[in-house]
Amino acid sequence: MSDAVFFAPMPDAPVPRKGSLMVQDARTRKRNAAEARFKAYGLGAIGVGLLALIILITSILGNGTSAFRQTEIMLNVELSEAKLDKSGTRDLEAMKKVTTITYGPLLAKGLEMAITEAGIEIEGLTSKDVSAMISKEAAAQLRDLVLADPSLIGQTIPITVLASGRIDGYYKGRVSLASAELDSNVTPAQLLLADALKDKGLLATTLNPAFLTAPDASDQRPEAAGLGVAILGSAYMMLVVLVLALPIGVAASIYLEEFAPKNRWTDLIEVNISNLAAVPSIVFGILGLAIFINFAGLRASAPIVGGLVLTLMTLPTIIISTRAALKSVPPSIRDAALGVGASKMQAVFHHVLPLAAPGILTGTIIGLAQALGETAPLLLIGMVAFVREYPAIYTEADGLFGEPSTALPVQVFNWTQRADPAFFERASGAIIVLLVFLLIMNAVAIILRRRFERRW
Amino acid sequence: MESQRIVERDVNTQITKITARNVNVFYGDAHALTSVDVDILDKTVTAFIGPSGCGKSTFLRCLNRMNDTIDICRVQGEIMLDGENIYDPKVDSVQLRAKVGMVFQKPNPFPKSIYDNVAYGPKIHGLTRNKAELDEVVETSLRKAAIWNEVKDRLQAPGTSLSGGQQQRLCIARAIATSPEVLLMDEPCSALDPIATAQVEELIDELRSQFSVVIVTHSMQQAARVSQRTAFFHLGHLVEYGETGQIFTQPQDPRTESYITGRIG
Repeated sequence: MSDAVFFAPMPDAPVPRKGSLMVQDARTRKRNAAEARFKAYGLGAIGVGLLALIILITSILGNGTSAFRQTEIMLNVELSEAKLDKSGTRDLEAMKKVTTITYGPLLAKGLEMAITEAGIEIEGLTSKDVSAMISKEAAAQLRDLVLADPSLIGQTIPITVLASGRIDGYYKGRVSLASAELDSNVTPAQLLLADALKDKGLLATTLNPAFLTAPDASDQRPEAAGLGVAILGSAYMMLVVLVLALPIGVAASIYLEEFAPKNRWTDLIEVNISNLAAVPSIVFGILGLAIFINFAGLRASAPIVGGLVLTLMTLPTIIISTRAALKSVPPSIRDAALGVGASKMQAVFHHVLPLAAPGILTGTIIGLAQALGETAPLLLIGMVAFVREYPAIYTEADGLFGEPSTALPVQVFNWTQRADPAFFERASGAIIVLLVFLLIMNAVAIILRRRFERRW
Repeated sequence: MESQRIVERDVNTQITKITARNVNVFYGDAHALTSVDVDILDKTVTAFIGPSGCGKSTFLRCLNRMNDTIDICRVQGEIMLDGENIYDPKVDSVQLRAKVGMVFQKPNPFPKSIYDNVAYGPKIHGLTRNKAELDEVVETSLRKAAIWNEVKDRLQAPGTSLSGGQQQRLCIARAIATSPEVLLMDEPCSALDPIATAQVEELIDELRSQFSVVIVTHSMQQAARVSQRTAFFHLGHLVEYGETGQIFTQPQDPRTESYITGRIG
């Protein structure tokens, strides 16, 4: 092909345009304007998205960060033997009969003493007002302390207790002297006392790790409510989802993608899996209620049931992303493996699957993240219940992950429903925790993707 | 000069390795190959030439049942390897492919090390007993594929880091590592530059001493250079099959002549 080829001008070619390159003609101007407009639309869309994100994050952080700090009162409490252990035998069973009702006044007395010692005088402050400054949780805290170490009885011990929700709110801007006038739960005198205690160093707002570890608390004591049970429940459910959905999803995808004959039945299955990914999650909740609780007899509110329901919900996501990952492996790799005499399974497991791994992992983690944030199906299987006991991994009676628990998003839902505004702060704080978990999972997805990514 | 080489070379074996009788291939309803009869000789390079879509690659893929991987593909007729029908239901295509190796059009090394690429076949077929034997097989295969000197110092480097011509020779090394009896090559040089092509062609000529080589090519010059026997396919028919010299100098069929002289194709 060394012959030179000469191109003659085509007979019906358009007449070349005359004019300077320095001057744009009308058509070019129009095209450039259209392009500029389109870019502006795109920029505008991104702007709106960013604005929404910023509003969301500032609102959540603004409302929620204060949940990680809590106001506490430091006082000395005299553990009188006459009240806590009348028999004097330090018999635990006898001591357990003494309820928090007895411990409450001890704390109130301790606080009153502290006030007197510090020389604080506030007008119009009743002793009932003073005792109401201390969280109702404090009596239980003290009782647990004494039952754990009966030798404390008879001593005067220093103790740090939670301040009541309103006092706490005063230092977080929820409550003011003006609003206290109208509030039946707090008086301005209490707030003045709190300020005085703060000046003396007996009251402080400090970091609150209990928000992450403590269980939920009742409506009257928002200051004690924590996410411990919810985080544990969510973690158990994620474990169940990961252990079930990943192998089932990947096995189903490999079969459908690599082994299944392409016929009407596999088409039907494919369409149904895609549709399943779009089914409202609450439908899975009803399904879980009917199958796992009513039919299989598993316990309501158990993480195992939540995990099974979320597995059903996550499977389509994992299958779809795994199939996409398998499809994206070049067929030449399969040919190469089959060409040297590998069986189909060897070709898939030795060559295709490792190459698809980053995609599969990303899909799985996105599915898990979706499951972590899911609320609706969990409401139907009773995970919205008020649970104060940490669920055990295994118990004889309820089996693996069978003890009632709640979950992070459900806890958010639960708290937003409560009347005390302190719970709104808690709910925002819980959302921050949820978002941090999601961020961690996404970061893991990115890291795994980088680690496993190979080029071909 | 070109024709000189062809005439000089003669077919030095007459043992038949593969016998194809009345082979028909269908893709769904499309009839891709019509009653092909071919005898492929041992220790010979056989070239399949013909215009695009004539069925030469399809026929090549029938010889190690790679067409099995295409759902809609049906193969009728009889293909005997050493007197055994490879389409017999008792035949396991995995065993067949260990005997009939294949090199593809596009170099497709595994995204693993050079060593692992070559060692993969022997490993899955259990051809070696220990690491030393495996090392030896890898070295021999790479030497046979004329790439040993280029890669001996970096066997752990990824196979995909090599140049296109090296990759293709690595793929040839991978194919011969399982010591096949027949080596199928589907346009092995179409993605390579002229220098790499010349290296691979030289290699094919050397491989002839151990294997029966079947090569599909678009380049008639290549067929003339490397093969002893040539089959010309056209529109799903085997038009002419014979010694390469005879096909290129005195074609019997007018279609062959038109193709060789560039009038159809």
